[in-house]
Amino acid sequence: MKDLYSKVIIIIFAILLAITLINIGQSAEMVDYKISNYYIRQGVEDTGSINLVTAILFDYRAFDTLGEATVIFIAASIISLLTKRSTSSIVYNNFSPLVYQNISFIVPFLYIFGFYLIFYGHLSPGGGFTGGVVLATIFVLLTITFGVRRTREREVLKIKSLLENIGMAGFIFIGLVGVLLGYNFLANGQAGLYLGEPGKLISAGTIPGLNLMTGIKVGASLSIIFNCLVREVK
Amino acid sequence: MMQIILYILLVFTLFSAAVVVFADNLVNSVIGLSIFSSSLVVIFLIFQAPDVALTEIVIGSGITTGLFIVTIDKTGGRR
Repeated sequence: MKDLYSKVIIIIFAILLAITLINIGQSAEMVDYKISNYYIRQGVEDTGSINLVTAILFDYRAFDTLGEATVIFIAASIISLLTKRSTSSIVYNNFSPLVYQNISFIVPFLYIFGFYLIFYGHLSPGGGFTGGVVLATIFVLLTITFGVRRTREREVLKIKSLLENIGMAGFIFIGLVGVLLGYNFLANGQAGLYLGEPGKLISAGTIPGLNLMTGIKVGASLSIIFNCLVREVK
Repeated sequence: MMQIILYILLVFTLFSAAVVVFADNLVNSVIGLSIFSSSLVVIFLIFQAPDVALTEIVIGSGITTGLFIVTIDKTGGRR
């Protein structure tokens, strides 16, 4: 009976959501496109980044990205606080040799893909967040297939939290460059930084640095979360 | 042709979302969520949003599935 109630409530909410979305779709011509038109016209000139999504995420709205990174930081801290640290062993499964061979073969390519997404974030789709999550996914794959050697667990966790802190502090220090030059926090093009030629790997001022820091931070945080969750208390 | 593929994908996405909500087993729910994300990725690509598609495929069907499966396993939700 309780199950039926919850299903009825879900269906009612789904219908309400559908009505809302249909109404939003019908009122689409009332939306003001002034800001998005400005971004499309001036984005490359202002930031030096060809990928406009990255230009908005790491230049115009870089402070929001710092907030998102902080949210992941807090999540990782709280999960590592809540999971017990005393007696721990790691989940370990036995797969066929084919799985081990395939995972070992695929991992270098995944590393290249993750770092490509981070370093070319201002030129092609991708960016710090996506690349960092790909790097964390490698760790998840390796943990599930091979297990983590228990003797090295503490050192690995220390290295990861160090990387996380480097990412978080580096983001703020890169943002402070704008303040030191006499402009806003996280200022890039308007602070007179060298933007370079759009389309080259080294261009767009602080955006590649911010991408790298976000990537390191997100990858380290998500793998810390997974590492804490995967522990098995006996 | 693209329109037909898009409509099929939209219906499939709706169907997989219903599977996520109404599945009896939590693990089946998580697998349904992964399938939901995968079909959403193709919809994003049809709408020419490769950034969102990349983020969705990495976060939605990649790391979320791993974290959810481990959490369900730890909390004994697997019936």
